[in-house]
Amino acid sequence: MALRISLKPALPLIPLLPGLSLLGVLGVLLRDGHGGGISVLQQFAAGAVQPSIDPIVLGSLLKGLQITLVIAVMSWGISSVLGVGLGLLSSSTFWEIQAGVRWPAVILRRWLAPLRAVHELIWGLLLLQVFGLNGWVAICAIAIPFTVLMARVIADQVDCHVSPAIPVLKGAGATPWAVMLTGLVPPLAEPISDHIGHRLDCAVRSALILGVFGLGGLGTDLSLSLRSLQFQELWSGLWMLAIAMVVLDRLLRTLRSWSRMLILPVAMASPWVALGWGTQLDLQLAWPVAEWSMVVGNLIDGSQGFNAALEISWPGVIRATVWITLIAGCVATGLPPLLLLVWPSQASLHLQGVVWGALRLIPAPLTALLLLMLAKPSLSLAGLALGLHHGGVMGRVLIDDIRSTGLGSAQTMKACGAPNRVSWLYGPLADVSRAYLTYATYRLDVILRDTAIIGMVGGAGLGWQLMEALSSFHWWLVLWIVLISAVLTLLGESLGERLQGSWNSRAMAL
Amino acid sequence: MSARERRAVLATGLIAGLALTASVSSCGAPQNDAKQAVLQIGAIPDQNPEKLNRLYGTLTTELSEKLDVPVRYAPVSNYAAAVSAFRTGSLDLVWFGGLTGVQARLQTPGARVLAQRDIDAEFTSVFIANGASGLRPFTSADQLVELKGRRLAFGSESSTSGRLMPQFFMGENGVKPEDMAGGGPGFSGSHDATVAVVQSGAYEVGALNEQVWRSNVADGRVDPGKVSVIWRTPPYVDYHWVVRPGLDDRFGDGFTDKLQSALLDLSADTENGATILELFGAERFIPAKDEDYVMIETVGRQLGKIR
Repeated sequence: MALRISLKPALPLIPLLPGLSLLGVLGVLLRDGHGGGISVLQQFAAGAVQPSIDPIVLGSLLKGLQITLVIAVMSWGISSVLGVGLGLLSSSTFWEIQAGVRWPAVILRRWLAPLRAVHELIWGLLLLQVFGLNGWVAICAIAIPFTVLMARVIADQVDCHVSPAIPVLKGAGATPWAVMLTGLVPPLAEPISDHIGHRLDCAVRSALILGVFGLGGLGTDLSLSLRSLQFQELWSGLWMLAIAMVVLDRLLRTLRSWSRMLILPVAMASPWVALGWGTQLDLQLAWPVAEWSMVVGNLIDGSQGFNAALEISWPGVIRATVWITLIAGCVATGLPPLLLLVWPSQASLHLQGVVWGALRLIPAPLTALLLLMLAKPSLSLAGLALGLHHGGVMGRVLIDDIRSTGLGSAQTMKACGAPNRVSWLYGPLADVSRAYLTYATYRLDVILRDTAIIGMVGGAGLGWQLMEALSSFHWWLVLWIVLISAVLTLLGESLGERLQGSWNSRAMAL
Repeated sequence: MSARERRAVLATGLIAGLALTASVSSCGAPQNDAKQAVLQIGAIPDQNPEKLNRLYGTLTTELSEKLDVPVRYAPVSNYAAAVSAFRTGSLDLVWFGGLTGVQARLQTPGARVLAQRDIDAEFTSVFIANGASGLRPFTSADQLVELKGRRLAFGSESSTSGRLMPQFFMGENGVKPEDMAGGGPGFSGSHDATVAVVQSGAYEVGALNEQVWRSNVADGRVDPGKVSVIWRTPPYVDYHWVVRPGLDDRFGDGFTDKLQSALLDLSADTENGATILELFGAERFIPAKDEDYVMIETVGRQLGKIR
């Protein structure tokens, strides 16, 4: 009898596999390296220790930081509340309890997916065309994709935390709402609170990117400093942002230490607090008036529609986009576990936290510029720039997961005589691998959308084409690119779901 | 109730109280919806924040004093966003580049050009090259064909001097964007970044605003051993002030003309005027008309940046 054995790597090794891509990227960097920009890198490093203390700069940065925080907190609160609601509505379990059918959940999920596939930045630009320069444009630009992303995660969580008590409760004749409250909510409350907390950090970074794009706030200042290569001014802003992010993080941790559930009332209250704060700032928060004529007028003239689709050589552009996304995804996923194994100790977790914090702090366009100071432009370089930034996010997820799971397994293995590195690999890393890989598949979507912000490295990919079409106010082409990006995102998502299935990884507390 | 639970209940109460206070106070606070009474000015992003804040801080004070209306400066860090903000009425008076100004006027019927700097009537771009590229200064425009197969960096995608006109002159001499190494040019995002990426060697050639090049040279940020000018474009019109229609209805008859005079009257003899002109890199502002920008519109349409 033939014995069929399929060779599968051990689970903790899977997060390490993408790290192999680093070898290829390193090869490209060595091939394309020029090192001619060392002086710029030195200026950048010097800026970190000697940031600008010009009162005009600091005043403007402080105002910008407040605007960024107001936009972030407001959109975070709104998207958390709406996301939980929509997540519940798009989970099969909810509909099964309420009506005994699953199809409304499937329809809602499919209907929401395209909204998620459009980057905050693009939402910002599209809403700006209709509503003008207004604080709500930035808030909605973040809140729309965040709400839908949150809904997806929540729906996954609901469907994988089905309690065995539910059929029993139903059988005992409990009303659907009573079944939900007693059977569904308790196991879900903690993972959902954790995820909501994590999204605040993401909302701050998104608000920053919108500022980079022109919707006000600290991002505007950072972007202007970066373009004029004023590294001292840039660092004043980066330090200010770092302090704000650390303070927010500490606040959330403190809240969580009191009660993990506290995050929910905080998220609900935050839009009101931010609204009160926003009225004191130079931020337009009056409800905007829509002006559709420009965008709609251009699209009504359908004759251009087909021609616009022929203006881009799609296979090349899609290939470049997918390539950048893959490299960035591999770097972002592979780097944190690699660093963890290079230096496996409890003390090093703090230092690694600082490294990931720094990578998250530095916007991807800045990383791209710094890398260009060392090597010639290439798709791999663009992927590396995005990958390093998102590696910061993945690193944080990994360390947080390991901290919350505890290091008991590593200590046990070490006590049994396993070498330090092996005990970390098959201990804590194995414990968190599934949740980490699940998160990595979610991250791939975000990376795909983020190709929009890398134009510096050769003007390649769909993201870049979109910026070019937007700056030419070529609405038909914008529509085509958004459609293709949405299709790519959805394909990526279904691939992600299959990967999750093959790793046997459930959606876990993120 | 344990101490932890008490803390949690206390915190929930505090949060609810804070939210209530904030929302009540925000209802009572004056909204920043003073669009009807405030002159909103903006500028395309082409300088560092310190300079922009100083420049527009002084300019808003000056215009506010001269015109007797409140003036507010809104920073915008993206060219396309500046055009859209102008079209939707979020900005009344904007300092645009050649291309963005034309885009803004075409999208905003009735908008008109108010003024330009003395240097804008005959503006130029320069092509710079890294020493290692082996490119030497061109003596005639047809030598631009030597750029084929090179790694070339433009600045921002909507920049007139950092992309549009250089690309136009390249096209005139038979060099298309797809002839560049890597299948197309890169976009550094700004003139200063173009200097940096060419000087470092990441790109072999770059095209940028000559004014920014000169200020980089003057500030010692250029290493003459590594990067130098290989070609200067023929002159064309660039930056200008564009104003929205309907300001006379909002601020009183003849307001737009008064605004134009206020800009044209800026002189280095007054303290504010000297600061503003110095930061703009000009001796004075001169009158400009819509017709001055016909050539930019033609080039914009030819290169697909105007639809």
